[in-house]
Amino acid sequence: MFANKPRASKAPSRPTLAISGEGDQLALTGTLDISTLAQAGSLLKELPKRGSSRTLDIAKLDSLDTPGALLLCGLRDKGITLICVSPEHRALLDLIYGLELEPLPKVAFVPRWRQIVIQLGKGAHDARHDAVDLVTFVGRAASWTVNALIHPGRLRPASIARHVAETGIHALPIIALMAVMIAIVIGYQGVAQLRPYGGEDFTINLVAVSVLREMAVLITAIMVAGRSGSAYTAEIGVMRTREEVDALEVMGIEPMQVLVVPRVIALVITLPLLTVFADIMGLVGGAAIARFLLHVSPTEYLLRLPQAIDGSDLFVGLFKAPVFAFIIAVVGCMHGLRVRGSAESVGQETTRAVVKSIFLVIVLDAFFSILFERLGL
Amino acid sequence: MKARSDAPERTILSARGIVNRFGKQVVHDKLDLDIVRGEILGIAGGSGSGKSVLLKTLVGLHQPDAGEVLINGKAVRTIGAAERSALIGVLFQQGALFSSLSVAQNIMLPMREHTALPGEVREHIAAMKLALAGLPADSGNKRPSALSGGMVKRAAFARALALDPKILFLDEPTSDLDPIAASGIDTLIRRLNDSLGITVVIVTHDLTTLFTVCGRIAVLVDGNITVDTADRLVRSDHPWIHDFFHGPRADGAIEARKASHGN
Repeated sequence: MFANKPRASKAPSRPTLAISGEGDQLALTGTLDISTLAQAGSLLKELPKRGSSRTLDIAKLDSLDTPGALLLCGLRDKGITLICVSPEHRALLDLIYGLELEPLPKVAFVPRWRQIVIQLGKGAHDARHDAVDLVTFVGRAASWTVNALIHPGRLRPASIARHVAETGIHALPIIALMAVMIAIVIGYQGVAQLRPYGGEDFTINLVAVSVLREMAVLITAIMVAGRSGSAYTAEIGVMRTREEVDALEVMGIEPMQVLVVPRVIALVITLPLLTVFADIMGLVGGAAIARFLLHVSPTEYLLRLPQAIDGSDLFVGLFKAPVFAFIIAVVGCMHGLRVRGSAESVGQETTRAVVKSIFLVIVLDAFFSILFERLGL
Repeated sequence: MKARSDAPERTILSARGIVNRFGKQVVHDKLDLDIVRGEILGIAGGSGSGKSVLLKTLVGLHQPDAGEVLINGKAVRTIGAAERSALIGVLFQQGALFSSLSVAQNIMLPMREHTALPGEVREHIAAMKLALAGLPADSGNKRPSALSGGMVKRAAFARALALDPKILFLDEPTSDLDPIAASGIDTLIRRLNDSLGITVVIVTHDLTTLFTVCGRIAVLVDGNITVDTADRLVRSDHPWIHDFFHGPRADGAIEARKASHGN
C-alpha cells in the first residue's frame, strides 16, 4: 500500500546531540528526541567527568520531544538544574514533570514447575467444564431443532438453503478428489498385501467395503469439519464481537433458533448427500485401481461389485453421516457463541471447534464400529 | 473561503484537488485543504459527508481518485515507513488497539519497530505516555479487551503519541466518553499543542471540542470544504452550516467558547 523504502536511506542528515563547554558552564546543543535518546543517555553518563557543574544550559537545544523531556526531568530529580530554558521547552518540561509517573507493574514471575502444575490443573478444570457445556449445548440444540421440526413455520428456509449451498455444493470438487485419492491409497496397499497369497482380486472387495463403510463418511466429515464447522464458529463469533447476538436476544429472538438450528439442519441435510457422492467417487477410484493394477475392465468391475458389497455396507456408512453432521454443526455453533470480545478469541475458538469436532467424529466412529460389529451388521 | 498558505513552510500538509467517488456518488469534488504548522484544525460535517474518507486520504491510507496530499512538500504515499511513523500519529475511532498485545506493548510497538532503544527505556517512555494520556500505570499490563470504552480511547491516544508525531489525526476523540473524560481529552490536546507545537487534526461532531479547542474549523458540505474560524462560521449564510452551529445543542458550546477564550 505504501512505498516501503529501506530503512537505511531514511534521512539524509541524522539529528545530532552534543555537550559543549567546560567546568560549570555545560550546555546541551542539537536535537534531543527519540532518535538521539540512546546517544543522550551515554553523553549524560559522562557528565560528572566533564565538570562539577550542577547546572545544564539548554538554550541551544533545537528540538525536544516528550522522551527527551522525560530524560531531562530525570536529571532534575538527580539535582541538576536546567538553565536558560526557552518558553516552549519550559511548557513541555512542566507538562512531563507534572505527571505522576509510576513504573509499569512487573508481571509476577512463576517458576516453570509451578506453571506446569497450574496448567495441568487448569486443563483438567477446563476439560470437565467443556464436557458439561458440550452435553448441555447438544441437548439444547437437539431440543430447539426438534421444536423447529414440529412447528415448521419457525424454520428459516432461506437461511437453510444458503447454508446447504455453502457447506454442500461448494464442497463437491474437493470431496470428489479426496474420495478418489483415498480409494487409490487403499487399493495400492491391498494389492501389495494380498498379492503374495494370490488374492489380489479381493482388492476390489476391500476398496468397495472400506470406502462404503468407513472411508467415504470419515473423509467427508473431516473435510466438512475443517471447511464448514470452522466457518460456523467464525461467523457466529464475529457476530458475537459486534454484539449482534446480544441484539437478537434483546429483540426477543432466540439465537439458538435463528443461528444454530438452520446451520444444524443444513449440515444434517448436506453431509449424507456428500457421503453418497463420496461413495460414488470412491467406487470410481476403485474402478481405476482395478483397471490399472488388476487389469479388470470397468464393465467387469461393475458386475463384480454386487457380489462384493451388500446393503448393510451402504447403510452403515450413511447412518453415521447425520450423526457426524449434528456433532460438527453443534460444536461449531457452540464455540462461535463462546467468543468473547477480541479478534484473538475468534481464532482460538475456531481452532478449538475444529479440533474438537474432528476428535468427536473419530471417537464416535470407533464407537459405531464396535456397535455394528456387535449387532452383526 | 479557502485557507491560503502565506508561505510554503508554514503549511505542514496540503491537499490539492482531492476527488473521491464511490460508484456514481461523488464524496469529495476537487477539494483543497491547507493545514498550518502548529494549528488545531477541526473537521466537521454531517454523517456520510466523507469525513472518515478525507482522514484516510490525508494520512495516505486511501488513494484518492484524483488529486494529491503533500506533507512537508512530499507526497504522503511515497514517504517511507520509518519517516511516516515519526511524522503521523492516528487515533482511530474504535481505538484499533492490537488485541493480542497488552496496552503497554501496544505503545511500545512503534518504538520497538523504529528505534533501537533498550527495553527499560521503552518501558519508562511507555509509562510516561500512559500518564500523559491520563491512564494509571497498572492499566499497562491489561489487554485492550479488559478496558472500558473511555480507557481504550486514552490508550489509543497514548499509542498515537508513541513516536511524538508532528501531526496527530484524531477520529472522534471524545465520542464514547463521559463529559469529564471528554474535557480531559480536550485539555490534553491543547497542552500537547502548546508544549510540543504538535499539529492536530480532529474529526468530530462534538461542538464543545470544535469551539473550545480548534483554532479553525473545516466544514465538509456538498463535496467541498469551507475553512474558517468558529466565530465567522457561526455567522455563515450557508443553510447547513447555519443549522449545524445554531441547533439546540450549540448554545452550551458557544458559552464554553466564550468562557475558554475569556470573551
